[in-house]
Amino acid sequence: MSEHDQFRELIEAYALGALDANERAALEAHLASGCAECAKALEEARLVVTQLAYLAPPAEPSEMLRARVLRSVRADAAGGSGGGSLPMQAGGAQRTSVPMWLWAGIAALLLFSLYSTWEARSMKQIIGDTNQQVVAALKERKQLEEELTMAKHEAWILTDPSSKKIMIMPSDKSMPMVEAMWHPKMGIYVTAQQMPMPKNNKVLQLWLIPKTPGAKPMPSHVFWPDANGKIGEMVANPPDDMADTKALAITEEPAGGSPQPTSTPMWVGGVS
Amino acid sequence: MFLLAAITGKYGEGESSDSALVERFIRKDVSAFEELYDRHSRVVYALVVRILQQGSTAEEVVQDVFLHLWRNAGQYQSSRGPFVPWLLTLARNRALDQLRLKSERQRRREDQTEEIPAIAQRPDYEKALDEKRRAERVRSLMSSLSAPQKKAIEMAYFEGLSHSEIAESLHEPLGTVKSWIRNGLLRLKEGLQTAS
Repeated sequence: MSEHDQFRELIEAYALGALDANERAALEAHLASGCAECAKALEEARLVVTQLAYLAPPAEPSEMLRARVLRSVRADAAGGSGGGSLPMQAGGAQRTSVPMWLWAGIAALLLFSLYSTWEARSMKQIIGDTNQQVVAALKERKQLEEELTMAKHEAWILTDPSSKKIMIMPSDKSMPMVEAMWHPKMGIYVTAQQMPMPKNNKVLQLWLIPKTPGAKPMPSHVFWPDANGKIGEMVANPPDDMADTKALAITEEPAGGSPQPTSTPMWVGGVS
Repeated sequence: MFLLAAITGKYGEGESSDSALVERFIRKDVSAFEELYDRHSRVVYALVVRILQQGSTAEEVVQDVFLHLWRNAGQYQSSRGPFVPWLLTLARNRALDQLRLKSERQRRREDQTEEIPAIAQRPDYEKALDEKRRAERVRSLMSSLSAPQKKAIEMAYFEGLSHSEIAESLHEPLGTVKSWIRNGLLRLKEGLQTAS
């Protein structure tokens, strides 16, 4: 193979820009020597190489780009310097005028941004309020469920045949009678009407008096009547068994109750 | 049939040919430039996007190419070759420069950005081909090449890689890559001539 043939084989890669530095330099020296055949082959190879551009997937430049290019060209043609931006050139920080429509777009974007921020805050507030409402509703539901459970419990005690009715009589005949229903497994339900509110910040306290001689009264529930004088107290877990209890008694005690009675019972009712 | 006639062309009846438009745009006729932009910006943009793989940077490069075209209209000489291949060469060089700048790769080509080489000498082209048909024809011809052959050519053209860089990337012998590229381009050339 002649030297010319060797160079001829490099022409296509040279047109493509794929030659490594040493081969490229050698070929350029050969072309510079005036080889007409290689020069002609190179022109044709370059033409073929440009066709590779059509292998690129189709893509559409934006209208914004067209507007920018044409604005710059028109400004150049008019002899102005305003629109001539060449962002890719070295040191190409040239002034670009901003048209009114772009300002309008920026203003619209700003307004939209402010509106979006306001709307986001509103939504956040609504979500926060809704969450609080959900929490309150869940709490109320839980309370209602507890009250329902309690009501069922009370109804069970009041209606079950195994419950024992205990009349707790007042020592003062002007006072109302207190009634207790004691279910051996579910507890004691104490009810009364028109009960006076204990004075001096005191409370009422239920006691279980054991049958065992000398045994101390067992402290139980602390309670007080509502504004209408009604009492409806549930003692779910009495401190002693019904069979071991001789009587129920109610005393007035300091707020919080006492471990031992501090006053004479105002109501007493025999259990068995 | 001449290769040039097979590749280049003029637009259909009722429209100015590129050469007539280019003559006007060299005289700073904005409407001629506008028509050239509308005709060729798509293929230029597609090429630059393919090279840079990034739309926003591609738009900057395309803007740069067309403004360079306008401001250096005198640089183009119709006697040195048809307009579109010249424009595509300019766009490819600018895009590859940008790619190399971004990847901090050594520039292997220093002097082709401003001085676009002559592409073909014969001015007598009459073959009418629109962009879509050109693309279909080139894709069809390239599809007849083997997959690695096509891949090597695309790496050189769209990524600006050299023989040895392609060989290293594909883990193939250097001689094999050289053969793939040369034979592939010769087959493409032959196919373009035959298709005409």
